[in-house]
Amino acid sequence: MRYVVAGYVIVLTTLFLYGLQLVWRRRRLDRAVARVVRAPAPGPGPASVPAAGEPAPGLSGADR
Amino acid sequence: MSANRGVPAPPLQSRRGRWWTRGIGIAAAVATVCTVWLGLWVTPPDETQGNLVRLVYIHPGVAWVALYLAFGMAAVASLLYLWPRTRSLVWDRLAAAAVEVGVVFNVCTLVSGSIWGKPTWGVWWAWDARLTSTAVLLVLFLGYLALRRVPAEPEVRAKRSAFVALFAAVDIPIVHFSVLWWRTLHQGATVLNANLSPTIHGSMAWTLLLGFVALTLVFVWMLLVRYRIGVLEDWLGTGELDVALRERQAEGAAVGEEEAA
Amino acid sequence: MWRDSLLVAGKDLRIEARSRVGLSQVAPFGIVALVLFAFALGPDRSLMARGAPGLFWVAVLFCTVLAVQRSVSIESGDGARDGLRLSGLDPAGLFLGKSVAVAAQLAVLEVVLGVGVVLLYGARIEVPWLIAASCVLGTVGLAATGTLYGALSAGLRVRETLLPFLFLPIAAPVLLAGTRVWQAAMAGGVASDGSPWLRLLLAFDAVYVALGIVVFGPIQESA
Repeated sequence: MRYVVAGYVIVLTTLFLYGLQLVWRRRRLDRAVARVVRAPAPGPGPASVPAAGEPAPGLSGADR
Repeated sequence: MSANRGVPAPPLQSRRGRWWTRGIGIAAAVATVCTVWLGLWVTPPDETQGNLVRLVYIHPGVAWVALYLAFGMAAVASLLYLWPRTRSLVWDRLAAAAVEVGVVFNVCTLVSGSIWGKPTWGVWWAWDARLTSTAVLLVLFLGYLALRRVPAEPEVRAKRSAFVALFAAVDIPIVHFSVLWWRTLHQGATVLNANLSPTIHGSMAWTLLLGFVALTLVFVWMLLVRYRIGVLEDWLGTGELDVALRERQAEGAAVGEEEAA
Repeated sequence: MWRDSLLVAGKDLRIEARSRVGLSQVAPFGIVALVLFAFALGPDRSLMARGAPGLFWVAVLFCTVLAVQRSVSIESGDGARDGLRLSGLDPAGLFLGKSVAVAAQLAVLEVVLGVGVVLLYGARIEVPWLIAASCVLGTVGLAATGTLYGALSAGLRVRETLLPFLFLPIAAPVLLAGTRVWQAAMAGGVASDGSPWLRLLLAFDAVYVALGIVVFGPIQESA
């Protein structure tokens, strides 16, 4: 009977943990997508300099 | 290939899609709990196998999902991708999702089978046709996943992976036959063989069926979630580095707007 | 298609003849593998003799990986693969040609390893034609599948680690069948019926050669 319980525990735990991981990954990606959609991508690198003449601080190092 | 400049249409999942996924997930959880309850408590021990028969409620279930459902789906999806008229990244994503979930079920198959085998045959592992084919299948699945990790354009990656899946699909029957000729220890061909049916009856048969249904539902739910993950990843431009970079950039843009204001 | 394949095979083999990588590196590696197996199995000669068929084929499989890596790396210089595609060579011919070249090298290696196995492990062969048949059929299968997987992993930097991992499980039936035939060949007498295994090898070869002919073009396009 020990074997049976061990088998059930291992299989179900594995499936459960994997399912948890899937949900977590999806949640993280959903948040990333939301963030990208909210703040439109600034375009390719420091080329887009704001009119004030000063490059926005967050962009100067943002090299893709 | 959509480079993420500007704001292309975000991959919104319809409410219906999300609700279907959730619904199937709940059904899967309920069915699994019922199977466990029936399997471990309600059903009686078997005459010949004793309590070990309880493992039969989940082992064939995970095996059927891993070997036939997941792998079959991956193979068919790969073929559909390779066929020019039906080529679409949807099939590639489906195949990838099916393989990843299939690996997990494959591991469960091997573990549950091994645990059943130890008290039954006295060994943790036996080199018979079904076990060996399952193990080879696992290695082939892992190879597929390893190949997918290599950075490439989506179409190139899809084509490459599809070929690997195709070759694996061709190889598995050959491996199976060769090992079958080699030795056979595993119980008959299927659960529904003459050996097993006299002893599987009544509540046990129902539990077995429920086990199949429950695990299939679990697979479908996992497939849906994993597919959705694939859609999101592809849209964001594959890889977590890209996700992090975009998050950084989006943060930077937000900060820049505040400072410029 | 046949003319192209002869062209390609000739090219690969001529490169091999001039650089002699197969002879100077792959064959010694095979011998080293045999020696290591001997160390692993201990001084019991009867154990080694019984294990000889399997060990021979494992060594052959490892050598195949090396030979295929070599076959792929011949064209990994800048633009060589694109040049090959633009040259108008029939992709099926390219596949057959490269497979033939690999097969030829493997054949030589198998002779070396076979002699090694007989000498080092004291294997006694009762039915030589079975040995020859299994080697011929096995080599064709290994060369075909190896070339396919080589092409699949051609452009990748991780090819060295990925190719063995992808290729060896596919080659498992050849190992299995080849070993059984050798065992039959060594047993002689009543137990020497290796023909079902030879049929398996034949089926394996037919499937993968046909697959390769059909599929090699599309694979090349995505490399």
